[in-house]
Amino acid sequence: MTELMIDAVRITKKFGKMTALDGVDLSVPKGTVMGLLGHNGAGKTTLVNILSTLTTATSGTARVAGYDVLTHGHDVRGRIGLTGQFASVDEQITGLDNLVLIARLLGASPKQARRRAEELLTVFDLTAAGGRKAQTYSGGMRRRLDLAASLVGHPDVIFLDEPTTGLDPSSRNSLWEIVERLVREGTTVLLTTQYLEEADRLADRITVLASGRIVAAGTADQLKGDIGTRTIMLTLAHPGDVTVAMDALKRAGLHPSHDVTRRKISSPAVASTDLILAVRALDRAGVMVTELGISEPSLDDVYLALNHDPKTDADNANAVTQIIKAISAA
Amino acid sequence: MSSSLAPATQGATWRGSSLYTQIMVLTGRSLRSVLLDPKNLLFTLLTPLMMLLLFSQVFSNVANTPGFPKGVSYINFLMPATLVTTALSAAMTAGVGFVNDLRNGVLARFRALPINGGSILAARSLADLVRSAVQLIIMIVAAVAVFGFTPKGFGVAGALLLALIVGWGLGWLFLAVATWMRNPETLQMFTFLAMFPLMFGSSAYMPLDGLPGWMQFVATVNPLTYAIDASRELTLQGTISSTAFTSIGISLVIAAGGMVFAAKGFRRQ
Repeated sequence: MTELMIDAVRITKKFGKMTALDGVDLSVPKGTVMGLLGHNGAGKTTLVNILSTLTTATSGTARVAGYDVLTHGHDVRGRIGLTGQFASVDEQITGLDNLVLIARLLGASPKQARRRAEELLTVFDLTAAGGRKAQTYSGGMRRRLDLAASLVGHPDVIFLDEPTTGLDPSSRNSLWEIVERLVREGTTVLLTTQYLEEADRLADRITVLASGRIVAAGTADQLKGDIGTRTIMLTLAHPGDVTVAMDALKRAGLHPSHDVTRRKISSPAVASTDLILAVRALDRAGVMVTELGISEPSLDDVYLALNHDPKTDADNANAVTQIIKAISAA
Repeated sequence: MSSSLAPATQGATWRGSSLYTQIMVLTGRSLRSVLLDPKNLLFTLLTPLMMLLLFSQVFSNVANTPGFPKGVSYINFLMPATLVTTALSAAMTAGVGFVNDLRNGVLARFRALPINGGSILAARSLADLVRSAVQLIIMIVAAVAVFGFTPKGFGVAGALLLALIVGWGLGWLFLAVATWMRNPETLQMFTFLAMFPLMFGSSAYMPLDGLPGWMQFVATVNPLTYAIDASRELTLQGTISSTAFTSIGISLVIAAGGMVFAAKGFRRQ
């Protein structure tokens, strides 16, 4: 087992009567990206705030970069970077001054601070804008400056709290590339996002939060496999074959359905052998197909399924099972 | 040779900054945002001048009311009070700056850094002190040059110092309130509500004898009255009395209380 850079055990956070987090466990090995997926109010930001020492948990323990967030907050803060919707730069001063400011606060001399700031402006393609006030920056530039600001002190762990919310696709892409580069160079990342595409692309493992609880965890592929159902899709060469094909598939134990044009048939592939069964059955019945394949469930399916109703999910100890049933029934 | 994006375990890192550096760097940052914003700077400087102009005109007949010190022009009566009320309005912005930092996420960024929370508050207070000092000096110069203000000797320097101490103390009070309210709109309403009785329920614009009975009571318990009276003694007579020390004492108590509550509010989640 590699070294854990984030190790949170049974984290619970209550705000008065409201439970924001309810016994959340999270472990992130060094140099990997953990995607924290959930809708607004799921508890993502609360968890990030606890791990970055901005908030204390009601109960539970957490170690970040090897230090306890409660007893060694100062050491944790020296090794993390925080970027996101709730941590930002000072818009009233220039981009360069923002980075110099942070370097100075971390203990750099004025000269070192300036060198580090200029270095980061270059990496983030902001050199030309470095002398301008941050409030004049575009959304994409702002996020790049935010990210640069959280990297000034060479952090071991960075928290990216919805880093691309509201960005256009090209800005989003360039931010993703930077994150990928960070990870290649050894940084550990905790990424919260509402975008499945983002988690799918960046995260090694994904944890899905709903109403303060973990409702699913695993790699993107595992989540898709566990929750979503794969579907066999086929297109008939001759629409007239639809009855024959449907009967053959039913006899093979599948549950096919066809579309209105009577050319395309789909059938849930529950077992891994279902596709083979389908091919054999169609071959035996002499049905010709022009297209045959399996469509993977998208992470959107997973996400929507898990978050379809946060209120019932909260009271449901095993939301996943229920959802799988719901999907199969649909 | 470490890459620019690699974590510290593979490169050089800094060991944290001293409290002194933190306060200086953060103060510089707050002042820079004022200096870099010409509009902000202009309004900061124009507001006290506008107040001086309006009050000296609107209330000039106060000089003819009974109880008004003899042989004193209204501007000479008004100016020492305006020093104190200007310091008061500067104190109120300490809270506004804090809430803005909170609102736009700058505070979260600072709080995730290995720095002392107290230095964030201290820097706020210090930046407002510097801003207030610049404001007051410009005001004194303008009052002498344009409005015919004739302070007696160097007492005016003492009055300036006193106004700064009073403003600094009250600044901590507003900073403390800001850490608890955390909302610009509510804070602004609170500030306005607090400002009027503090300013007008005092000896600032009228001698105490010229105020209605209940207002006289408000003015006597208003810490600003002591500051204003002491400021007048300093500028009009060039003398210092126990009133000045009472005023400084009250300010220090307010500052200490404000610091405690600000620190508590700052840590509150």
